[in-house]
This record gives sequence, C-alpha cells and structure tokens, in this order.
Amino acid sequence: MKRWKFALSAIALAVMPVMGFATDPNSDAQVLLQVEIQSTAGSEGVITQFNLADLQALPTVSFETETIWTEGVQRFTGVSLAALTRHLGVNEGTLLFQAINDYSAEIPVSYAVDGGPIVAYQRNGALMSTRDKGPLWIIFPFDSNPAYKTEEIFSKSVWQLVRIVIKPDS
Amino acid sequence: MRERLAAFAPKTVVVVTTIVLVILLVLSVLLGREVLRQLSDLSTATTDNVQWNMSQSEVEHLRLQAATKEALEGGSLDLVRRRFDVFYSRVATFHESPLFAELRSSGEGAKTLARIQNRLNNFVPLIDGPDRLLRDAMPDFAVELVANGRDVRTMTLLGLVAHTQSADAKRQGMSQTLQRLGWVVMALFLALALTALMIGCMYHRGRILTAASNATAARMQAMVTSSLDAILVIDTKGRIMSFNGAAESIFGYSRAEALGKKMVDLIVPDHLRSLHLETMARLLTADKPQLMEQGRVQLEAKRKSGEVFPVEQSITLSQSGKDTVFVSYLRDISARIAAEAELTRARDDALAGERAKANLLTVMSHEMRTPLSGVLGSMELLETTGMTPEQDSYLSAMRVSGELLLYHVNEVLELSQLEAGVSSELPHSFDLEELMLGLVGSQQATAQAGGNSLTLRCRLNGQPNVLGRPRQIQQALLNLIGNALKFTKDGTVSVEVERQTASGQVEFLICDTGAGIAEADLDRIFEEFVTLDASYGRISEGTGLGLAITRRIVDALGGEITAESELGEGSVFRVSLPLPAKKLDQKEALLQPVEAHFWKHILVVEDNDVNRVLLTKTLQRLGHQVTAAAGGAEAVDEVAAGQFDLILMDISMPGVDGIEAYRRIREQKLAEGVDIVALTAHASVDDHARILEAGFAEVATKPISRSELAQLIIRHTGAKQQVAPEPEASEIHQFMEALGSERAQGFLRTFFQDVPGLLGELEKTPVSTKALQHEAHRLAGSAAVLGLDPLRRCLLDLEEAEQGTRLPQAPLIQAWSEAQQVLAPHLTPSS
Repeated sequence: MKRWKFALSAIALAVMPVMGFATDPNSDAQVLLQVEIQSTAGSEGVITQFNLADLQALPTVSFETETIWTEGVQRFTGVSLAALTRHLGVNEGTLLFQAINDYSAEIPVSYAVDGGPIVAYQRNGALMSTRDKGPLWIIFPFDSNPAYKTEEIFSKSVWQLVRIVIKPDS
Repeated sequence: MRERLAAFAPKTVVVVTTIVLVILLVLSVLLGREVLRQLSDLSTATTDNVQWNMSQSEVEHLRLQAATKEALEGGSLDLVRRRFDVFYSRVATFHESPLFAELRSSGEGAKTLARIQNRLNNFVPLIDGPDRLLRDAMPDFAVELVANGRDVRTMTLLGLVAHTQSADAKRQGMSQTLQRLGWVVMALFLALALTALMIGCMYHRGRILTAASNATAARMQAMVTSSLDAILVIDTKGRIMSFNGAAESIFGYSRAEALGKKMVDLIVPDHLRSLHLETMARLLTADKPQLMEQGRVQLEAKRKSGEVFPVEQSITLSQSGKDTVFVSYLRDISARIAAEAELTRARDDALAGERAKANLLTVMSHEMRTPLSGVLGSMELLETTGMTPEQDSYLSAMRVSGELLLYHVNEVLELSQLEAGVSSELPHSFDLEELMLGLVGSQQATAQAGGNSLTLRCRLNGQPNVLGRPRQIQQALLNLIGNALKFTKDGTVSVEVERQTASGQVEFLICDTGAGIAEADLDRIFEEFVTLDASYGRISEGTGLGLAITRRIVDALGGEITAESELGEGSVFRVSLPLPAKKLDQKEALLQPVEAHFWKHILVVEDNDVNRVLLTKTLQRLGHQVTAAAGGAEAVDEVAAGQFDLILMDISMPGVDGIEAYRRIREQKLAEGVDIVALTAHASVDDHARILEAGFAEVATKPISRSELAQLIIRHTGAKQQVAPEPEASEIHQFMEALGSERAQGFLRTFFQDVPGLLGELEKTPVSTKALQHEAHRLAGSAAVLGLDPLRRCLLDLEEAEQGTRLPQAPLIQAWSEAQQVLAPHLTPSS
C-alpha cells in the first residue's frame, strides 16, 4: 500500500513542469564558491564569495581530457586556479579544497599554474548539477600533461567543490 | 682447437656474436619499454580510488539514511536532498568510470547497479519536488533506502572482488614481463661475458703475435748486425738510413759517418757515379722496378781509403705505406775474384803442362820413327846384298821386330791424336761398298798367311753411297779385322755390312772362329793398354791399344761397339754407325768416269831433292803419272798448266810454303774437286789441326811407305787398285831403286862433295851463319833419305844452332866417317 502511494507521488512529481534543483546553479545570484583567505593558519580569514557570473567574469579556460571517473573524452570549461589566485592576490600558501560531502584536499598554491588545474563549471558545454559532480570541479589537464596522472593529483581533483581555504605557509 | 678458434674468431664468431648482441639488445629495449609502460601504469595509479569510491558509496548511503531518519523526526529536508545528490553523484561514478568496468561487465554487478540507479531515479521527482510531498514520502524513502543499503553493500563487495582480480592480473603480467626481462638480461650478460672472453682471447693472441713480431724484429736486427754482407738501407733520395757492422768493416766508414750521407758520395766509385744516379732515377720513376728482379749483380764499390774493389750486389725494394726504401746487400768478393784468377792460372798451367806432355809424346814418337825407318830401310838394302839363307832368316826376324816396333809407335801417336780430339777429316759422301772391298782385299794376304779365309758380304739395299768419315771407319774396321785375323788360325773371318732400314744406321759384324774371349774379360777389352791372358800374349803381341782406339773412333763417329764371344768358339764384334745413305754429290759424280783407268796424274811438291825424286819414283812404280815441283810457286804454275787427280804437298818449304800454295790454288780455282794432301814431318797434333784448318784433305806424315801411299791414293782418287803386298824397302834401297843406278850415283857423288864442303866451311868459320844453316837443312834432308840418321842429326844440330854461336865440328866429322862406310858399298867409281 505504502509502495503504491510512493509510486504515485513519484509519477505526479515527474510530470511537474519545473525540474528544480535543491540548489539551482542557473540562478546567477546563488553563491557557488566561498574562498576564505586566512592570514594565519587556523584563524578566521577573509571570505570572498563567487556566484556563477563572478566566475564567468574571470578568464575562461577550456580543455579536453579523459578522467578516471568519466567515460570518454570530456570537455571542461572554467577558471584556472592560477587566474583565481591571481585575482585574489594570492601567490603562496596552501589551497584547501572542501566538497559538499565534506571531502577535502590540499595543494600548494604553486600548483596553480597556467595550463594547470582549473575550477570547472562546465562539462561538455553544460553546467554541472550536484548529481553530476557539480556545480564546481577541480580538474587537471590529465591528457595534455600525463604528469598529473598520479594518485596524489587524482585525490586533489575535488568535485562538488563549495569552498576553498587559502592558508599561509606556517 | 685453439688454432681453429683463433682462425674462427675474426670472422664467424664476431659476426654471430654481434648479431646475438644486437638481438638481445633490441629484446631488452623492447621489454624495458614494456616494463616502463607498466610501471607508468602503476605510477598513474588508477586503482586506489576504487576502494575509496566504494567505501565512500557506503558512507554516503549511510549519511543519506541518517538524514532521512532525522527528516522523519522533523529534521531538514535540504540535508536529505544534499545527501541524495551526493550519493547520486557517487553512483553515477560507478556507471561512468573506467575503474568500474569490471564491475559493470559482471552480470550481478550490472544488475545491482541497475537496481540502485532505478531506485534513485524513482526518488528524483520527489527530491526535486516540493517539501510537502517529499516529507510525505519520507517513510517509504526510508524503507527503500534499507533495501538499497543491502544492494550498495553487495555492489561494494563485488567491486572489491573484481578489483582484486584485476590487480592480480596486472601483477601477474608485470611479473611475467619482469621475468622475461630477467632472462633477456641474463642472456645479454652471458653474451657480453662471451664477448669479453673473446676479446680476452684476442688480446692474448695479439700479445703472442706482438711478442713473435718483436722476436722476429730482434732476430732480424741480429741477422743484419751479424751479417757478413754489408746491408745498407737507402731512402728514395739515396741517403743511407741503415749501415750494419759488416758495412763498417767492408767500407771503412763508421755507422755515424755513413748515416744520412748519400750512398753515391760514399761508396760508389767515380766511374760508376752517373750509372748509379741514372739507375736510381729509373727505379723511382718506373712503376715496376726492373733491376730489382735481376738478383745478384757484380759491380765495383769504393772503400773509405779510395780503393775500388769488386762487390756482388742485390737490391730489394721494400715498401711500407708511402715509404719506399731500397735494401742493398753488398758482398766483398775481392778474395773470391782473386781466388778465381789463381784457379784460372793454375788451370792454364796444368793445361800447358798437358800440352807439353802431348808435345813430348809426339816429338818422341816422331824421333823414334825416323831412325826406325832407317833401320828398316837398311834391312831392306841388306836383303839385296845376297845373303846366306841363315842371314836371311835373321834379317826377316829383325824386320818383323822392327815393323812391330814401328806399329807400336804409330799406335801411341794415333792415341795421342785421338785424345786431343783431332778429327782429321770432315764427313763427306763415299762408296761404302767399295771401301769395304778395298779393305778386305788389303787383308787377304794376311788372312792367307794365317791360313784363314776372309769373306765379305755387303747388304746395303742398293745404296752404297753414304755420308761419313771413310778414313776413320776404315781404320776402326781394319783394327777389328786385323784383330780377328790375328787371333784366328786356320779358320774363318767373315765381315758383314748391313743397313738397318729403320734407322740411318749401318751395322758391321766381324765374326771369327778364333780363340774367343772369356766372358769376364769382355768388359775390359775396350779399355786402354789391356792385353788378355798369357796365352794370347804368346799368340800375338800388342800394346793393347787397338780396341781402345777402335772404341774411341766409334764413339767419335756417334756409333756403338759391342762384343760377344765364347772361349774356343770365336768372337763377334758388332759396330753400329750412323751412316745415312746419300747420293754422290756433283764433284764425286764428275770424278766417277775417271775411275775407268786406275792410274792417276799426281803432282808431287817437295823442296828436298831426294825426297822429291824418291816420291816420284815410288808413285811411278805404283803405275801413276807424276809431275814434280820443287817449291810452292812452281806447284801453282804446274797446277795452272795441267790436270791432276791428286796433289801431294810438302808444308815447310822455303819461299811459298805448302799452306800458301794451297791457298793460291784454291783462290784461283785451279784444281777444283782435286784433293790436296799435306806431307809433313811434323807429327804434332797442333800442326795437324792447323794444316787441316787450312783446307787440306788429309795430313800424311813422312816418311811414308809405299803401301801407305797406295792407300792414300785410293782414298783420294777412288782408284780401284790392288796394291801388291811387297816388302817395304829401306830408304837407301828405295832411293837407289827409285832413282835408278845412274842418277843415284850422281846424287851420291854430289852428296860426297857437299858434306866435305860443309865441313871445310866449318873449319874456316866455325860460327853459325844463315847460309850454313840453309846448307845444313838441305843436307839433313838428303841424309834422311839415305837413312843416315846420325849424320842427319848432326846436320840438324847445325841448322838449329843460333846464328853467331860457335859450332863443334867433331860430331859431324865422326858421323860423316860412319856415313861414308855405309854409303861406300853403293858408290861405284865414276867412269
């Protein structure tokens, strides 16, 4: 009985005109990324918020690569970490990426180079939903630079990115 | 084995090793790349994410369940939505990622994944829908999640198994590759070890070769240093580069002095300088040096002292790379040259001694012959003095002994001539049958005397004319026939002449039924001075030279002589001579008709009156027509005026001598086709050769007996004349007979005046003068004719004494008184 009710309600929802997301990335105003720049490690830092328009306003980088998590060649578009850190006026320290599922990984700021990792907001020309590892994904150009095909870099390719904490070197 | 290996190494082994090494290298590179690729696969580490992803899927599912539970108790729906999205995203990874390809391909994995996805898809409209509907659906959602949790667990376990298997396979592949690489590396190591071993061997061999080469070089150096020959190495500019110890001692320069100097300045004599420089220039320009191959060359070289001495030189060209050097070996041969000269001198001396001996022999026999002629002549004269039968028999015995002695002397003389290799006649064509008839005919008397019958059989296939040396053949056969007759008593001697049709040989068989020769002696009979055992000695006596002479003649004629015999049965001597049949040449053909009459017209040329008269008379008594000339010039005139069949010419004559006369006659073609025979008292071999060289047909030695004269005429005119065997008369007898009593008396009277005249001259001036020598020569000739040998010798002494020397008279007076006694009986008082 319960199963039937569940099924009916599901069908009813499916025909609903609005295919909404819990967090709608298409709404330009919604904050996609918070960047906290700490002056000293562990202390409360300055937080900068980026919505999609903010990110798109930064120089756009686009490349094709295969990943170990996807099938076939993917085209990623986004802001290079180099451009982002430049934008934020950061040139040293450590970048701590935090994901929606509480995953986190760190890279030195020095990894943020041109032709290096980007904060992708588009995959194959479309914005990415949370179910699709979006809205933001740290992606390295694995194909153009095989040196990135390491366990370490794979672990730094954080998807469902929501926050970057920039910590100074202790 | 080691040698084989050594011979093998440079080629096959190196090639094989190289190929193996290359193959191994390529293999190891390929495998190395494979290992690198696999390592790179490992380094790109696609794997560890799997476990994280799988554990994470369970974690995220549990967090979704926790959020759902909270929502059921009035908690936030947004958290449920977020946890749902995160879980959804994780499941999407399972769908997409190549990491989970194995999981997706396994049937259960794919079904489980499809079930999970299916549930999620069912919830998506509710999650995306309004809060009210979602909250209502929460209890169902929670129930679904419990089932879903079991599936996630199943999927996680399946993924783990698949991952483990894949990792195992990869490890296995890696291990295999590494193993292969290991083998290849080991093989490579072995090949390299082998190569190292080979290189070691080669190094060892190289060291041995180097050692050998060093040893050779050292030996070479030792050889050069210790060589007795001077060894000079010269560069292309002619400078001395090496100068060994022998060179130092031979040339007198020290090494330091010689090195770097020009060879031409140092050791080449001045007169050879230009030749040397030319030769060097030619050698350098020529592609292939010709002089090099000439071997030893005899040259002259110069010592430091300036002394020029003979050397033997051989040059070789040594070329190494671009460097060309001449290696010159020089041997000082001055000692050898001196020794050779010494040897030549010694040989010449020995030859001269030999000649002197031969001369002595000739002179001796000549000197023996003349008195012997006197003895024999006297005995002939004695026979005419009316002796008692007893005296007659003694005289006969004396004559036999005397003739035997003369025969021996002649044989010795002949041997010495044969030894000197004198061939007294040139081959010409003659009638062999005729020669044989004459020869056998001349021996008939001897045969009858021994009670033997002598027969001749000629089978010359109608070709009696042959080319050869008739006189020598005659002599050889005469010896054999004479021997056969000598050793046969009351038997048969047969002579057979047969032409061997196949070859140009004519075979002469002389068979007798005489005593025979023992087989053991057959080999020796042709040796010199061999007389067989005593029994033969009793039968006959001889010098033992007859057969030796015969053999020599046969050898000289290119023939063969063999003998077969049986004691008591007889002997057969077989002579085979090359005598090709020949038609008579023109001269002989012309002469042929003349033989119709046996007498010949003969010119006698002799300056000695007695000899001339004697010869003329003797020839006339033989039935020939004779013209006499007293000198060479007269002879030429006579020949020009008349027609002769034969000319007998004395050689030593005053004015135009025999040889000159011969030359004139031949030059003016006065007596074409007529033989000219030389008469000489000189029996020496040299003289004979000289006379024959001038062109004389034969040389006859004086004194010449009547039978010899007859044979000579037969030989040279072909007169078929049987000479009656008559006893040889002594000179004085022959003289009296030949001249006739009246003329002989006249001659004797003149002689009786001339000799005292000479003695008178001597008394007045006992010094040799030219006129006196001339008179002595003339009287000596007369004395010889008269058989007055002591007188002749005294006169010859006078003749031969040097002009101006004082002459003894006593011997001449003594000899003359003896001669007077001899001559007195023949001298009848003049009327």
